[in-house]
Amino acid sequence: MKSLFKLTSFLFVAALLLTACGGATPTPATPPTPQTIIQTQVQTQVVEVPRQQVTVRLSGWASSPSETALLESLLYKFSVENPDILVKYEPITGDYRQAMLTAIAAGTEPDVFYVDIAYFQEFAKNGVLLPLDDLMASTGTTKDMFIPSLMNAFTYDGKVYGIPKDFNTLGLFYNKGLFDAAGLAYPTDAWTWTDLQNAAKALTNLSDANKPVYGFCDPADAGRFPVFVLQNGGTIMNADFSDTTLDSEQAIGAAQFYTDFRKNKIGAIPADVGEGWQGTVFGKGQCAMVYEGGWLIPYLTSSFPGVQYGVSRLPAGPGGKGNMIFTVSWSISKNTKVADAAWKVVEFLTNEASQTTVLESGFALPTRVSLQTSDYLKNNANSAAIFNGAYDNAVPFFWGPAGSDVNDQMGKALERIYLENQPVADSMAQAAAEIRKAIAQLK
Amino acid sequence: MATASQLLPENTFRNRFLLAWERIKTPVFYFLLFFWAILCLAPLYFTLVFSLKPVANAYTPPIWFPIPFTLDNFRTVLQSFDLFPRWILNSMIISLSVTLLRVLFCSMAGYAFARIEFRGKKFLFNALLISMMMPGIVTLIPKFLVIGPGFIKGGLHIGSLVLPTGFNLIDKLGGVVLPSFVDAFGVFMMTQYYKSFPKELEEAAIIDGTNRWGIFFRIVLPISQTQLLTLGLLTFQGEWNNFMLPLLILRSPQNFTLPIGLQWFRGEYYTLYSTVLAGSLFNTLPILILFFLFQRYFIQSIATTGSKEG
Amino acid sequence: MSKFNRNKALENLTGYLFISPWLFIFFTFILFSLGYALYLSFTRYNLLSPAQWWGLEGYKRVLTDSLFLDKALPNTFKYVLIVVPLQTVISLVLAFAMDQKLRLRRLFRTVFYLPSVTSSVVISLIFVWLFAAQGIFNQLLGLTVNWLNNVKTAFYIIMGMNIFTTSGTLMLIFLSGLQDIPESVYEAARIDGADSLQIFWYITIPMLRPIIFFVVTVGMIGCFQVFDQIYVMTSGGPLDSTTTITYLIYKWAFRDTTVKMGQASALAVILTLIILVVTLIQRRLIEGSGVSNQ
Repeated sequence: MKSLFKLTSFLFVAALLLTACGGATPTPATPPTPQTIIQTQVQTQVVEVPRQQVTVRLSGWASSPSETALLESLLYKFSVENPDILVKYEPITGDYRQAMLTAIAAGTEPDVFYVDIAYFQEFAKNGVLLPLDDLMASTGTTKDMFIPSLMNAFTYDGKVYGIPKDFNTLGLFYNKGLFDAAGLAYPTDAWTWTDLQNAAKALTNLSDANKPVYGFCDPADAGRFPVFVLQNGGTIMNADFSDTTLDSEQAIGAAQFYTDFRKNKIGAIPADVGEGWQGTVFGKGQCAMVYEGGWLIPYLTSSFPGVQYGVSRLPAGPGGKGNMIFTVSWSISKNTKVADAAWKVVEFLTNEASQTTVLESGFALPTRVSLQTSDYLKNNANSAAIFNGAYDNAVPFFWGPAGSDVNDQMGKALERIYLENQPVADSMAQAAAEIRKAIAQLK
Repeated sequence: MATASQLLPENTFRNRFLLAWERIKTPVFYFLLFFWAILCLAPLYFTLVFSLKPVANAYTPPIWFPIPFTLDNFRTVLQSFDLFPRWILNSMIISLSVTLLRVLFCSMAGYAFARIEFRGKKFLFNALLISMMMPGIVTLIPKFLVIGPGFIKGGLHIGSLVLPTGFNLIDKLGGVVLPSFVDAFGVFMMTQYYKSFPKELEEAAIIDGTNRWGIFFRIVLPISQTQLLTLGLLTFQGEWNNFMLPLLILRSPQNFTLPIGLQWFRGEYYTLYSTVLAGSLFNTLPILILFFLFQRYFIQSIATTGSKEG
Repeated sequence: MSKFNRNKALENLTGYLFISPWLFIFFTFILFSLGYALYLSFTRYNLLSPAQWWGLEGYKRVLTDSLFLDKALPNTFKYVLIVVPLQTVISLVLAFAMDQKLRLRRLFRTVFYLPSVTSSVVISLIFVWLFAAQGIFNQLLGLTVNWLNNVKTAFYIIMGMNIFTTSGTLMLIFLSGLQDIPESVYEAARIDGADSLQIFWYITIPMLRPIIFFVVTVGMIGCFQVFDQIYVMTSGGPLDSTTTITYLIYKWAFRDTTVKMGQASALAVILTLIILVVTLIQRRLIEGSGVSNQ
């Protein structure tokens, strides 16, 4: 009994000591440790660290260990060239938006951070971001160095609030093996909706009882469906995002075309073949064509290395070409106390050298116009197809302040068509009505 | 005084049922336990099997054995981050500190609520219960403010004094320990346990003149070993897997806990399940080991710890 | 001061000293957080700009929201009404079986505890993978149902998963309580001629009453606040069939493009009130009648 008391008090004291001693506060005087990445040598360079150092806090979501290593190698290069600036990298491995919103609300947000196009306008409108025009002028960075549609996406009220760091569009991924087996010519950039449909029919005929093959995958995904609306000459929202046009003739027509693939059994949703994502379905060869972004390329390389595939630009519809842009910017917090240093970091990470490194790693597409003619893109037709999608009437994946509701309703509308056999026009009308309700609530 | 006829059980349906039950109850219990054990083992068994298979075989049969066999997933987890051992250490420090502190403080508070009569007890206990009912999502931001920058920006100005309104523990392990070193759930649990303790032992001590502190630390605490260990285990496991608040508080990668670090494998667009499964095993292992080590303390029943029958 | 008053004062002081750590946390974190959330429920707040006073507008919007009325509210109640009794009964039965001094108890105890020991996020991922249409579960039973993508089955899978993971924890809690009941009480009862059914009903259960109240209360609070699994596995879908009140709070607070923190806080307050009322009713049923063995 006495010994238990002694033990408890000892443990109690030990616990307090543990807490007091635990946890390291990073000391400002040491540069970040270099990370070893594959195919790159670690260079040791003696650099004189000046006594006065400015700390720039940089944050983003953590994508994958290899991409993180890439970013850290860039940051290391930066620290060597700029020994008076210490960049503290603070990756967020969980819900990025939740962490950022909390930090902003508490006033503890980092100096430099990712802003996804989906909530860029919300941040800019509420004065969270620092306008970059003056800083850009100070280093001679001009807007036309970057792909116009991307630069415009991160411009609000005439001012630039973010430099696009990379982007993705949708490309038509096609399974070469299945195309050969069906005796079809590979898709070209001149394809149309009709070509898509015919190919899907022919490819589905390849299935047998044991291994069903579908020509095309048409999931209930708001990140895929809108391109069809654009290709049918329609839009998702009106110009100032105050109303939706999902119940327009063009949108309904696009929905009809899109869902008909599954209805006519020449297409499937991933759930039909027991998957959650069409990327896996494509990798397994159960679907001959999918609309996916550049992220599918590293996925296939790691998970399905045997698949022979190609990527072409999306086929045009009756209304012409259409695509969507998924992009993220480097932005600076309005409340930063180290604006100049923060801008140096952003400028470095988006300059031509850095973007070339990223491009050649295959992880993401650069946003500088000058790299459109780079060797890498010349030698990698697949990545080039995705890159050039930005010039195909590409619209940013952003639908205004009620954007999340728009996405939700689009997804639900498609789900209702698929799972409950609701007529297309009714489903879209219902979605439009719900979106209008959500928009009204914003007042 | 029972007569002979009263000693013989009557041949009612109820008694026949009870007799039958006495005979089959052991196999029935065994069956129940085995069935539930298989249910519990299955997901983790398959996790183990598929973490030993290559990424490309994430769904392919055979499902019972890892063929083809590979240690790549584990290697990926260990090699992708040199901070991996550091994360385990951080998780250990936090979980152990919180567990030790919480076991002590919750049992103290539980004893007080169960046995000591003090003014406002009922009100405070109800406040405790109510405090558990607010969903955590809306309390994230205020908690974050108190742990870190304070709820009044720049501090509370009183005359020429500036009082901090927050603990400024962002990005420190202490910032994770501070809000958790005692919690309503633990206090509630210990209160209910102590409420069901027989009073005889304490009554004897009170008559003897021992004060509350003596009674608690010398009599009650030693007897409640099983309950303390249960609370300790639940606390350790909860803290080890705690994710939401630590994600907001801990910023530098070297301060991450293991679950936060392991989340690094969840891709932006897709999840490589085999690696995630391998990582999840690293996360589960320490707790399992601890549990297994402390197993025997759970078996000690009251009968062996002293004169409870008093 | 008379001896009686002095003792009383000492009792008061001792009581407060004993609860002082909890009281500290209560005042610095809990009270402030609850007050803050309550304040926010009367504001319109998008987390990026300062909050504006909104009065009861947030509550009005919550109580007329179709997602809340048609999905979140009924789903949450369905969840509680199914999961709480099941997990309480299953864990009690398991604890009782474990208390029977059968062999291999140690092994069973470790095994039962396995699901609880894994973080809910990880278990959710494992279950997503297990219950995929080509996952292990279907392979074992020869089915091809896409459990989590089906409007009718998704929610039940989540329920099953929760019962599964919490039963281990609750079993441990019940077991500690069961082991507390002195052998002498059972012996006395047996001498008096009680059979095992009577012992179970008239001795075991009443002596366990405080623990049962604890398990049901905590189980209920946990079920009303179910979130992790839905966040990881289904994001409220398909077609909102797995949207619960807590998920709706999260959606409004952190997921919607235009943050509705005020509304989310209002819903949180409403949920707290619901839980409070249900707990009070439940307390009357379990602890109210009969005096617990003090």
